[in-house]
Amino acid sequence: MQKLAKAIIILLVILSTNTLPAKAATTVSVNDLIEHAKELDGQKLTIQGEAIGEALERGEYSWININDGTNAIGVWVSRSDAEKVTSYGNYKNSGDIIQTTGMFHRACKEHGGEADFHADTITVIKRGHPVKEELPISKRIGIGVLTCVTAVIVLLYIISGQNKMDKPTRRKVEDKQRKLEKSMK
Amino acid sequence: MRTRNKTYGIEIISYYTGYVILVVALLMLLPILTSVVTGEWVPIIDFIISFEISLSVGLLMILAGRRTKWKASEFQWKHGFVIAALSWIALMFLCALPYWLSGHMKSFLDACFDVMSGFTTTGLALTQDLDHISNGLNMWRHILTFIGGQGMIVLALTFLTKGIGGGYKMYVGEGKDIELVPNIKDTAKHIWRISMVYLIIGTAALWFVGILIGLNPVSAFFHGLFIFASSWSTGGFAPNTQNIMYYHSALFETVTMIIFILGSFNFGLHYAIWQGKRREIVRNIETQSFFVTSFLACILALMGMEKLNIYPDVISDFRRIIFNILSAHTTTGFGSVYARQFALEWGDFGIVIMIIVMLIGGSACSTAGGFKGLRVGIVFKGLIMDVRKLLTSERSMKVYKFHHIKNRVLDDGIIKSSAIIIFCYIITFTIGTMLGTYYGYSITDSAFEMASVTGNVGLSIGVTTTSMPTAMKIYYIIAMYLGRLEFLSAFALIGYLGGGVKKLCKNLLKR
Repeated sequence: MQKLAKAIIILLVILSTNTLPAKAATTVSVNDLIEHAKELDGQKLTIQGEAIGEALERGEYSWININDGTNAIGVWVSRSDAEKVTSYGNYKNSGDIIQTTGMFHRACKEHGGEADFHADTITVIKRGHPVKEELPISKRIGIGVLTCVTAVIVLLYIISGQNKMDKPTRRKVEDKQRKLEKSMK
Repeated sequence: MRTRNKTYGIEIISYYTGYVILVVALLMLLPILTSVVTGEWVPIIDFIISFEISLSVGLLMILAGRRTKWKASEFQWKHGFVIAALSWIALMFLCALPYWLSGHMKSFLDACFDVMSGFTTTGLALTQDLDHISNGLNMWRHILTFIGGQGMIVLALTFLTKGIGGGYKMYVGEGKDIELVPNIKDTAKHIWRISMVYLIIGTAALWFVGILIGLNPVSAFFHGLFIFASSWSTGGFAPNTQNIMYYHSALFETVTMIIFILGSFNFGLHYAIWQGKRREIVRNIETQSFFVTSFLACILALMGMEKLNIYPDVISDFRRIIFNILSAHTTTGFGSVYARQFALEWGDFGIVIMIIVMLIGGSACSTAGGFKGLRVGIVFKGLIMDVRKLLTSERSMKVYKFHHIKNRVLDDGIIKSSAIIIFCYIITFTIGTMLGTYYGYSITDSAFEMASVTGNVGLSIGVTTTSMPTAMKIYYIIAMYLGRLEFLSAFALIGYLGGGVKKLCKNLLKR
């Protein structure tokens, strides 16, 4: 009976250790990476943010820049993983929100001392989409009113004869100006 | 009715300030064109609104001072200085409009901060969500910094000086004093010619490198153009949040570094080299001063970082230490490390070196800020001269000289005026540092940020954020402005306004 109890306990222990999920990498913000760079250097972590700009392909790998709202960082990722990202954030689009687990380097030797993130895995958790431009009514009214006001001012400027100085008058004024400057010297 | 034959000073100021505004307003057509090409419709409306307001203000000011054109006017030095100072302030408000309308700024003050930062080629930014701003607004940001580098007055003079006797006075008022050719209009044209040739070469080089590092050809062109504008004008703006780190490329950083070093040199030096006087690079007091100070700063910084064991190898040292030191020294402000990494990793020694080089800055009559190498060289030579005088017989009369484009006599007047300007920079820097510490920032953070602001650099240690106190934002705007115009024009404007108020009070009392 005792033997059976021991066997059950050992079995339970083995099962429990095997079925325990692998220790999840801690999720941190990009700003935290920078603020605690020395402590987090070389650790396996998870970051999440919007892919911005575009992927910069470098042979078998690519750089994907991600911004999590606190700051942005370059993620070094295999080209096949980079292809999972289809939308990058810019004026016209919101980028894919990606979650990546990998190694943070405070001063990466492979990349000239840059603070970067080498991704093991990348998951797109939300797809990006085109951003619709909206023109507020205040701007529509504003541009209408301003166009009228500017037209009146331009008209005033033209009427005032700013550019209508004839040659003799211009010469007269310039001569006068020259004399005045000589006397000032 | 009696008609006045002469124009009042205020009319001269209004007339020419209006013209400068008009010329800069016309520049808004470029971001409009960019937005049309890239199909961004709301930014087009923002820029049209801003253009109309600027055009109206410019024309009204010209109309207010139109007698300047018709009547002979006594264009005095004070007018030139006041026009330069006033144009910069008026343009700060007008050029902030597209920023404000874009919705990327938390307040209009933040928009003014970014515009002054662009004009003065500082490069600190409070723009929110930089990664999502339109190509039009990005174009505008970089146009401002490019124009600011050469000078708004220089731009206006290129078009306007026909029949103006005061062109040179306005030009000096903008902190530039070198005459490449006897005629000031041609000097302005030469400055633009030099910049445009470099613009074509630099943009092409960065475009090519951009494609090599994986950018698509269209965005590589925009990135190349923007980064060139920022580098050449020693500005430091970049189209993305990560600044120069967005590109992850040593080659891109190296090309950028070459451009910003060239941009920090005096236009007189560029012109002399174009004229075939290559020895000027070695003989000029400014280049000598720059090479000595940058060499010493790089060596000391490398030694300091080596002690702290921050970077793993020589390539890292080059890309993180030398790049940032030269970026600071040329007052560019591109950062290849995060702002907070300076504070957390570089140590006090590294920060002190950065503060010193940021304050020294680049060359006079260039796109760079800071005390300027010329003044540092003159004061240093003046010190040596005084020591030598002490050590030699009183009977010996030796004339001391320095070389800056041509041989010049080193007299007490030049040394004094250089020392006064350096003193003004130090006062501005000290007050700003004190203000930072008053609001609770550490002394090193405050000093670093203030050196960056006073020297028109743009590197940040993390102080410049939208949440920093309003008083600090306003002081930073003033310090950037003073640093860029080298104090005199701003003082002339204050004096002119003070004189005007005094006159007004006297007239009121008489009544």
